[in-house]
Amino acid sequence: MLTLQLLVNGIALGAAYALCALGFVLVLNATGAVNFAQGDMVMAGGFVAIALVSLWPVPGLVLLPAVVLITGLLGLVFSAIGYFPLKSRPPVSVFISTIALGVIFQNVAMVTFGPEPRATPPLLVAGNVDVGGLTVSIQAIAVILIAALLVGGQHVLLMRTRLGQSLRATAQDREMAAALGIRVNLMIALTFALSTALAGVAGLLLANTYFVTPTDGTNYILKAYIAATIGGWGRLHGAIAGAMLIAVFEVMFPALPLLIPVLPVAVHGMFSQTSASIVLYLALLAVLFLRPQGLFGEIAQRRA
Amino acid sequence: MRYSWLTGLAALLMLSPVHAQQSAPVHVGIPVLVPITGFLSLEGTSQRNGAVLAIRNAPPNLRVQYDVVDTSVSPEGAVNALERALDRGSVSAVVASMLGTQMLAMLPIALERKVPLITVSGTAQITEMGNPYVFRFFPGDDVTKVAHVRYAVEELGLRRLALVYQTTAYGQSGRRHIVENLAKHGLSPVFEEALEVQVRDMLPVLSKAMAANPDGILIHLHSGPTALFIRQAAAMGVGIPIIAGSAMHQPPTAALLEPEELRGVCAEANASPVSGGTPEMERFLQQYREMFSVEPDGFALGQYDGTMMVLEAVSKGARTAAEVARALADMRYEGIAMTYKSDGRGNMAHSAVIMCFDGRTRVPKVVKRYDNITGALTP
Repeated sequence: MLTLQLLVNGIALGAAYALCALGFVLVLNATGAVNFAQGDMVMAGGFVAIALVSLWPVPGLVLLPAVVLITGLLGLVFSAIGYFPLKSRPPVSVFISTIALGVIFQNVAMVTFGPEPRATPPLLVAGNVDVGGLTVSIQAIAVILIAALLVGGQHVLLMRTRLGQSLRATAQDREMAAALGIRVNLMIALTFALSTALAGVAGLLLANTYFVTPTDGTNYILKAYIAATIGGWGRLHGAIAGAMLIAVFEVMFPALPLLIPVLPVAVHGMFSQTSASIVLYLALLAVLFLRPQGLFGEIAQRRA
Repeated sequence: MRYSWLTGLAALLMLSPVHAQQSAPVHVGIPVLVPITGFLSLEGTSQRNGAVLAIRNAPPNLRVQYDVVDTSVSPEGAVNALERALDRGSVSAVVASMLGTQMLAMLPIALERKVPLITVSGTAQITEMGNPYVFRFFPGDDVTKVAHVRYAVEELGLRRLALVYQTTAYGQSGRRHIVENLAKHGLSPVFEEALEVQVRDMLPVLSKAMAANPDGILIHLHSGPTALFIRQAAAMGVGIPIIAGSAMHQPPTAALLEPEELRGVCAEANASPVSGGTPEMERFLQQYREMFSVEPDGFALGQYDGTMMVLEAVSKGARTAAEVARALADMRYEGIAMTYKSDGRGNMAHSAVIMCFDGRTRVPKVVKRYDNITGALTP
């Protein structure tokens, strides 16, 4: 039963990580640049929800469209400041500008909301449900469902719509897309908007269970970066799988002594949250050494 | 909040000419160098607020000049801020970062320039280096962890305690003192594990802790992780007492949890300003709320008391920074939270309280007070 409980927690955490990683890879593919402010967009989504709920105290699900809209607009502003003026410069310029914008977002959040941790409202209601003896938080179930819907919706958008075709064409070859009449700059701006909207939703989902502070973005961008590397640089489904693997590993690894009773007591100390981080980063190094193209192969060829 | 600032400023401007006619005011420089950004920003902001409120309440014969500088969390940031502040002009004392690593970096400069650092840092090492220019107005782990363990063992009668702490210097120091104090009662933790600040899911560590069959859990975590831990414990219905570190006494930590989730949770701290209790505490609470529009915590009160003690020392005749340091080393000061007196190493706070939540509100009640734990207040 504990295994299932941990698995549900891991999947809920991974679902939110996946939204962040997905946005990260969308921008990577469209621009060839790493957006190091993606984690700060997760933080921004959390604070946007907190600001909205202070004006309009409703469940998170009702706030979700507004969070998508506001963080999407934030993405447009972000691209106008952080990407377009530098798009003809070397990728490192965009990389640095995203770091700078991330720091600006952090400090704006600090000044506006203060340093203390805050929580967003639950998507539906707070509390737990009993599913066959398994106590599952309603928020965890809602997070998994919402994330699955968004990932599915994003897949339909990219694969089944004309806009999606244009976005993909821009990501694959900007010059060819422009030659075919696609408004490349508009597509890139929309990609930023989509990316930050996904991060914003992740912020809304995560901040109810795990709270949000202005400096939380750093942790999320590291997770997105690792997810993209493990899944395959530039692979959308790879990023989702990578995010899930990271989250499930983070939750399950420290509990292994309980899950595998035959483990000798002498080694129980090796399975802690701290050692989970060490093993996670060792796994990342192993992937870089042994399978640099990631689990699903690599699309984007340039890494920042 | 803005109105309060303007009112205070106007009052100061109106009063200044009167004082000029009566006697020349004494100029006091007290830079406030604290971490307003970074992972300790919540506590650093409390520190700043406490110092600024004390400066506002300075004795009328003093004219206090101060700048607030954000040291963030790097030692270099703190050192640069300190050197710039000292180079700018006459400084009587410095309100210095509560981050232990920053304090350790600032201590040699304070020694060289003979300027007292007034802090609420909990890192034990800062007062163990023989530096006569550091004064800590928040009880260190050698005080609070005595209260933490004594309440669990003596008042609640717990014998099988699990211990969960942070991997940071704060967490390691707390863990060392908890284990030492448990040993004095002939006990050792039945389970212990360190958590990184970034850990999100507390189910694994709580499951492992409960598998050790404890009768109580001691936690020594930062604010966010404390709330996550207690929320998970409530969801699991652990049904045993949880006695938390000082992070739990901070109102923003309690605000993250429902009152019902807090039922049966206790915490140690230097004081619980939101619980009120004395006229002085009520007045501090009211002023703090008016000025900053947030609830004060024990860090703010400790820094308030420390800064007020500096101002009193100057008011009573200490003129140079070295004279202020000597006065702080010798004086006994009745603050709002407790009586302060140096133990000879700059540890000024020797009392701690235990507060508990009843499950109906987020305002805890002080249930036990431990005074003069170190014996430094004994004449």
